[in-house]
Amino acid sequence: MKIIALIAALMAATPAASASLTVSFAVTEVPTGQIMLSLYDSETAHDRGGKPARVAAVAVKEGKAVAQFDGLAPGRYAVKSFHDVDGDGKMAVTPFGMPTEPFAFSNNAQPQGGPPAWAATSFAVEGDAVTHSITIR
Amino acid sequence: MLDRRELFRNALMAGLGASLPAEAMAAGLAAAAQPQWALALGDVEDDIAPRSLTRLHGRLPQDLAGTLYRNGPALFRRGGTAVNHWFDGDGLVRAYACRDGEVTLRARFVDTTKRRVESGLGRIVQPGFATPARAGAVVASSDDTNAANTHVIAAGGRLLALWEAGSAHALDPATLATSGPVTFRPDLKAMPFLAHPRIEASGRIWNLGLSGRHAWVWRLSASGTFEAGQLITMPRASYMHDFTMTQRHLVIVLQPWLHEKASLPFSTGMVWRPEQGTRVLVIDKDDLTRQRVFELPALFFFHLGDGWEDRGGTIHFDGAFDDSPLFATETAAAMVEGRYPRTERPLLKLISLYPDGRARISATSTTAEFPRNPVGNAGPRPTYHVGGYRPERPFARSIGRWDWQRGRGAEYDFGAHQIVEEFVPAGRWLVGTTINMTARATEFHVLDSHHIDAGPVASFRADVALPHSFHGSWVAA
Repeated sequence: MKIIALIAALMAATPAASASLTVSFAVTEVPTGQIMLSLYDSETAHDRGGKPARVAAVAVKEGKAVAQFDGLAPGRYAVKSFHDVDGDGKMAVTPFGMPTEPFAFSNNAQPQGGPPAWAATSFAVEGDAVTHSITIR
Repeated sequence: MLDRRELFRNALMAGLGASLPAEAMAAGLAAAAQPQWALALGDVEDDIAPRSLTRLHGRLPQDLAGTLYRNGPALFRRGGTAVNHWFDGDGLVRAYACRDGEVTLRARFVDTTKRRVESGLGRIVQPGFATPARAGAVVASSDDTNAANTHVIAAGGRLLALWEAGSAHALDPATLATSGPVTFRPDLKAMPFLAHPRIEASGRIWNLGLSGRHAWVWRLSASGTFEAGQLITMPRASYMHDFTMTQRHLVIVLQPWLHEKASLPFSTGMVWRPEQGTRVLVIDKDDLTRQRVFELPALFFFHLGDGWEDRGGTIHFDGAFDDSPLFATETAAAMVEGRYPRTERPLLKLISLYPDGRARISATSTTAEFPRNPVGNAGPRPTYHVGGYRPERPFARSIGRWDWQRGRGAEYDFGAHQIVEEFVPAGRWLVGTTINMTARATEFHVLDSHHIDAGPVASFRADVALPHSFHGSWVAA
């Protein structure tokens, strides 16, 4: 019993394996506004309109923005993002519902008539200092 | 998934058991087997620097000073790849300037995203009307697939090179340099703008942009600035290349080639449902919610003439009509490969929509395409068109004038060695181009619109054969 208690105590004292991710954005439309992004941790959620693991809104300053995510379980992740140029928190659309603000995906994966799939956008997040860069044109 | 061209090449390889590299063999076969008319779908490698045309006969009329701008696809193949359809080549805008008795030509490709992506890769990759997306395609917006290859109009000191499922591209009328896609208002970025805007006598421009059963009704000033826009919902999601208009009404012909699923390339989402007939939506220009719908048998068309209303309130308009979309689905695809399979020939017909709700079609036996009318004519008017279609070859070989009041027409046959492109009214004159297959050169002709059957009053020849263009505009100096 003592052994089991010891193991339990050790488990509690050791943090669960944890990773952190820094996503840096460069924008080209205007150097202001904000980046709205969703971070996905599963192919199903990413490709079939499910819920993201995290969301963030980060201000654009001098054409750049940085989003920081801590306490992530190590694994594969993907980002969908858009440059909220007018800062209203929503993707602006045409009367036909097509986006008019610039958007981008992790790995700078290119859309082909729809958002690129997890296979093209996902990347590994292992450890505590993963960085990922996205350019939003 | 194999596309049409790849299937074609694979069939050749299998049939011949060839050990030659596929591209070398395809090029060799292409050179040996291409019919003369393949010039009309040839590739132009670079912009055409300004050059004088050689006068063949006649004189330019004194009162004809200005420029005929024309647009049409002029690059269909890159590396070992090709587009799958005539409508998917890169738009080349040509300017035929008439001045001091001389005609000069220059031509420049519209600098589209499609063209930049594909010239960078050296391959055709962007999806189009009937060309599938291939590895390397980038499609973030409809404008990424915009070939800007269908029509060119002038408004507000600039040219607008038009396609149908994306933005107009603005061009400099003197240099033909592209300044880019036009966004008329920030929320209208990359909105579809059909290649056939209708222009009132005042110069005001009406157009549609389509998305399934929805249409965005564009209204621009004579100088091409945004005046108004409104979303309407139509009874069905028809394929539509053109619409027409009277002084008071927009007339939208909803043929039974229906957009049943969103897929790329575009044509794969279309289904022909002749049993559902044709509907014609008539909308009051002063109040777009005031609408009437007329019923007609199944028709297929690309192009309509200007409409008019008689004193009794009956709306009339003509157009070039087929019985099915066979040309769009098969013929215009095969033509890129130098083949001309069985097809229909379009006939000139008049549609009349009566105040009591009846609708009637009056047919002629005249084969016709690319109908054009004198600018700003609100009443009955002649229709100028190309014609003389024959079963043995594609494209028109004559120019015609049809008078609906008298129920008769006149025609001038340029001959079996000529491919006749659209002719455009320019005051009293008609100006247009042909491809002379014997001389292997593009020609520029002027006809007297009152004496079509006398043939050109003046003809000029370029030192180059440009591929068949679709539509254009005369801009008086």
